[in-house]
Amino acid sequence: MRESSLMRLQYVTAVAAIVLVSLHLLMQGVLVPYGEAVSFQRVLSVYRSAVDAALLEVLLLVVLAHGFNGLRIILLEWRQEAAWTRGVNWGVLVVTLALMGYGTRTVILAATGQVT
Amino acid sequence: MADKAAANRRGVAGWLDPLHFNIERWAYVFQRVTGLAVLAYVVGHIGDTSFFVGGPFGEGPSSSSWAADLGVTENVLGHLVLVMVVLVVVYHGINGARLILAEYGLIFAKPSRPEYPYRAKSLRTVQRHLIWVAIVVAILAALYSGGLMMG
Repeated sequence: MRESSLMRLQYVTAVAAIVLVSLHLLMQGVLVPYGEAVSFQRVLSVYRSAVDAALLEVLLLVVLAHGFNGLRIILLEWRQEAAWTRGVNWGVLVVTLALMGYGTRTVILAATGQVT
Repeated sequence: MADKAAANRRGVAGWLDPLHFNIERWAYVFQRVTGLAVLAYVVGHIGDTSFFVGGPFGEGPSSSSWAADLGVTENVLGHLVLVMVVLVVVYHGINGARLILAEYGLIFAKPSRPEYPYRAKSLRTVQRHLIWVAIVVAILAALYSGGLMMG
């Protein structure tokens, strides 16, 4: 992707993150009392709701894309060498996809796994 | 020439040079620092919440694993961390909204001929107030979230 496209991605994910993080914070303490919001039964019911689980998944992808692209921008601004740029671009992509995979696994297992 | 070029390369330390900075530059420094802080929290949060399903090797929602996780995070230190996260994430969000509006030129005044005392008139608009809005709302949100968790 060109840097201009990545910067547009940064703004699009920023606007999405403002909406989703606001909603997430409201659900974790304002609309639902904090103690209840982190209780096992409440968290389970959130993951077992298709809409709520999908929102958490989108939040995961949006925030990781925004956060790690931001880190990439900082690292590329820090040093300017072709090898550094390539290394940072690939390294950040790998770490981002790995964390997206790990978080998605949590959402899928929480939504469909056997409760113990 | 070489010395002059080297002097201009201040690297990361240059972010913290307070001289000749206007408030927009400080807002930029804090945007990066808070961004890195939020990213660090998000990575930790993805690891922490995975214990709802038993951690890296879990297979489904586990009340005992989640109770153990809450045992680590649900205390005064954990709540203080969350208050700090609210502080930096709210600042980052509001200041970030300002940056997007600024990027599209929506909150600047028209540039004008420089006149004494040579302050950029284009910056002296609502965008500068938004920086203070970000700071004040972030502090209020952090205090409010602390009240919600402790109360």
